[in-house]
Amino acid sequence: MVEFERGSVSRKTMEIVTALLTAGAGLAICYGSWRSGIGWSDMGPEAGYFPFYIGVLVILGSLVTLVRSAFFYQHDGEIFLDSKRARPVLGFFLPVGAFIVVSLLLGLYVGTALYIFGSMKWQGGYRWWVSALAALAVTALFYLVFEIGFQVPLLKGPIEGWLGIY
Amino acid sequence: MGNFGYLMDGFATVITTHHIVIMVIGVMLGILVGVLPGLGAPNGVSLLLPLTFTMDPISAIILLSCMYWGALFGGSTTSILFNIPGEPSSVATTFDGYPMARNGQATRALTLAFMSAGIGALAGVVMITLLSTWVARFALQFSSPEFFAVYFLAFASFIGMGANAPAKTLVTMMLGFALATVGMDTISGGLRLTFGIPDLIKGVSFLVAVMGLFGIGELLLTTEEGLRFDGIKARVRAVDVLKALKEMPRYGWSILRSTLIGIWMGITPAGPTAASFMSYGLARRFAKDKSQFGKGDPRGIVSPETADHSAGTSALLPMLALGVPGSATAAVMMGGLMIWGMTPGPMLFIERPDFVWGLIASMYLGNVVAVLLVLTTVPLYASILRVPFSIVGPVIVAIIFSGAYQIANSTFDMWLVLGFGVLGYLFKKLDYPIAPLVLAMVLGDKAEDAFRQSMLMSNGSLTIFWSNPLVGGIMALGLLMLAWPVVAKAVGLRGIRRGSATTHSAKL
Repeated sequence: MVEFERGSVSRKTMEIVTALLTAGAGLAICYGSWRSGIGWSDMGPEAGYFPFYIGVLVILGSLVTLVRSAFFYQHDGEIFLDSKRARPVLGFFLPVGAFIVVSLLLGLYVGTALYIFGSMKWQGGYRWWVSALAALAVTALFYLVFEIGFQVPLLKGPIEGWLGIY
Repeated sequence: MGNFGYLMDGFATVITTHHIVIMVIGVMLGILVGVLPGLGAPNGVSLLLPLTFTMDPISAIILLSCMYWGALFGGSTTSILFNIPGEPSSVATTFDGYPMARNGQATRALTLAFMSAGIGALAGVVMITLLSTWVARFALQFSSPEFFAVYFLAFASFIGMGANAPAKTLVTMMLGFALATVGMDTISGGLRLTFGIPDLIKGVSFLVAVMGLFGIGELLLTTEEGLRFDGIKARVRAVDVLKALKEMPRYGWSILRSTLIGIWMGITPAGPTAASFMSYGLARRFAKDKSQFGKGDPRGIVSPETADHSAGTSALLPMLALGVPGSATAAVMMGGLMIWGMTPGPMLFIERPDFVWGLIASMYLGNVVAVLLVLTTVPLYASILRVPFSIVGPVIVAIIFSGAYQIANSTFDMWLVLGFGVLGYLFKKLDYPIAPLVLAMVLGDKAEDAFRQSMLMSNGSLTIFWSNPLVGGIMALGLLMLAWPVVAKAVGLRGIRRGSATTHSAKL
C-alpha cells in the first residue's frame, strides 16, 4: 500500500489502478486457459475454450472502465482514502492478518482468544481481566457450538494437545 | 388443484416440533446477522452452510431460508432505529423510517415496516405456490441450449438493468465465472487456471468468496466510516402496535404496487435492493403530497419494505424451478442444495416434491414466525448494537475465519478470505457490484456445461442458440436486456433506471 504515504489518494487513481488490476487478471485467465488448450478436440471444446472467452470479456470490460476513468471521468476531485481514514482501516486489517498467522501456528481456538483479548485490550481500552474473560467466554462458546453442537472440528494447535482436549 | 395437495403435504412435513424449533433458531440467527454490521444475509447463510452438511436437507433448507427472512427483518430494524442499513436492500427504508422513529414514533415505524414486509413476503410465497409447478413443467422441455440461454438472460439483465456501470458489472461477473473454472475440469479431467498452486486444485469455493467480499470487505468499510451506533431507544408497546396495524389498510395501494415491483424484480435477477429503491421512487412519484417524504412519510416505509421482502422471497422461484437464483443469498442457498446432492431446476419438482413443497410451506410459516419474533425481540437486538465495535468486530472476524476453515478444512481458504476481503473493500468503494460475481461463481459450472454441450450438439456453431423459437426468444430477450441502457435512453425512460439505482448511483 504505497499510496498511503502521499497522504491521500484520489478516486480517479484507484479507478485506473483497479481497472489495470482486473485487466491483468483477464490476461492471466487467458494465458491459463491457453495452456489448457482453447481449441477443439475430438471430445469437443477443450478445457480452456470457455474460460478463454471469459478472460477476453474481463479484459474488454476493464478497458472500457480504464478509458472512461482516464478520459471521461465523472467523480472529479473525489478522494478514495486519506491518511486519517486509512489508519482505522489498517488498525483493523493488520490484526486480522496477525490473527490468521497465529491461528495457523497455534490453532483457531487459541488464535481467537488471543485476537479478541488483544483487540479489546489495545483497541477498545478495556482492562486486561475484562478482555481476558470476554476472550475466554467467546472461545468457550465457539467450542460448544462448533465442536459439540454441530460436530465440525476447527483447526487445532499444540496447546489443545497438551491440555488433552484433542 | 395438484399444487394445493402438495402444499398440504408440505405443511404436514414442516409442522413438527423439530422443524418449528429450527425455524425459530433460523429466524433469530437471521435477525442477528441482519442487525450486525459485516454480517449480511448472504454471508450469514454461507457461514451456516458448512454446519448443515450433517443435517437432513429439509431441516437444513428450513434453517437457511428462515435465516434469510430473519436477516431481511433485521436489516430493516437497524435502518429505522440507527439510520444504518443492516442490509443493502434496506437502505431505502432509512429515508423515512429513521425520521419517523426520531419523531418519537419508533414503534409505529417498526410495526409498519414489519407488517408490510410480512405482507410482501407472503405475496411472494403465494406467487411461488401458484407458478412454480407451471414454470418447472415449462422448463422440462429445455435442453442445453435453452438452459444456456436462460443463464445468458439472467446475466444480461444484470448488466442492462443493474444500477452500476455496465462495464464494471461485466468485469465482476466474468471474474466470478473465471473463479468457478479454477481447478479440475469436470469434462476432460484436466487442471485449469491453477498456475501450479496445489491449493487451487480443489477450486475456489463460492462460500470463501462470499465471506471475504461481503464479510471482511463490509467490516473494512465500517471501520473506515467509524460508525457509531447512537440509536433511538425502542420500547415496543402493544397499544402502539395496534394503532399502526389499524392504519395499514390506508396504504393498500402502495402495498399492491410495491408487491408487484418486488415480485418482478425478484424473479428477474435485479434483486431486493433494486426493488426497494424503485418502489420508493415510484411511491414518491405517485404521491399527491410529496412534502412529507424524507421526514417520516409512512408510505416511504411501507413501499420499500414490501418490495424488499416480496423480491427476497420471489428470488427463490427461479432458483427452484429453473436453477437460476434471483439474488446473492438465493445463489448461496442454491450452492447449498448442490452440496447436499440435489440439482435445482425442473427435475427437483419431480424427484423431490417433498423437499420443494416442504420448503414452500416453511416459507409461509417462517415469515409469520419472523414477524412475531422480530416485533417481540427488537429491544434485545437493538441493545446488541450498542456493544462497542472493538468487541463485536473481532468476534465477527473470528466467526468468519472459523467458518472459512470449516468449508474444506483448508488453511489456504483463510488467506483467500482475506484477499477477497480487500477486493470487496476496493469493489464497494468503486461501485463495482458484488452480487453478479457470487451468482457467476455458483452458476459457472452449470453455465459452462450447458455451453459446451450446446457446442457439441452443433459442432461448434453458435447458430444453435437461434435454432428454434424457444431458445431464440430467450436469447433475443437477453440481447434486449444487454442493450437496455441504450434503449432506455432512446425512449427517454432514464428516470426509471435511475430510480432503481443505489445511493452511490453510478452515473457512468
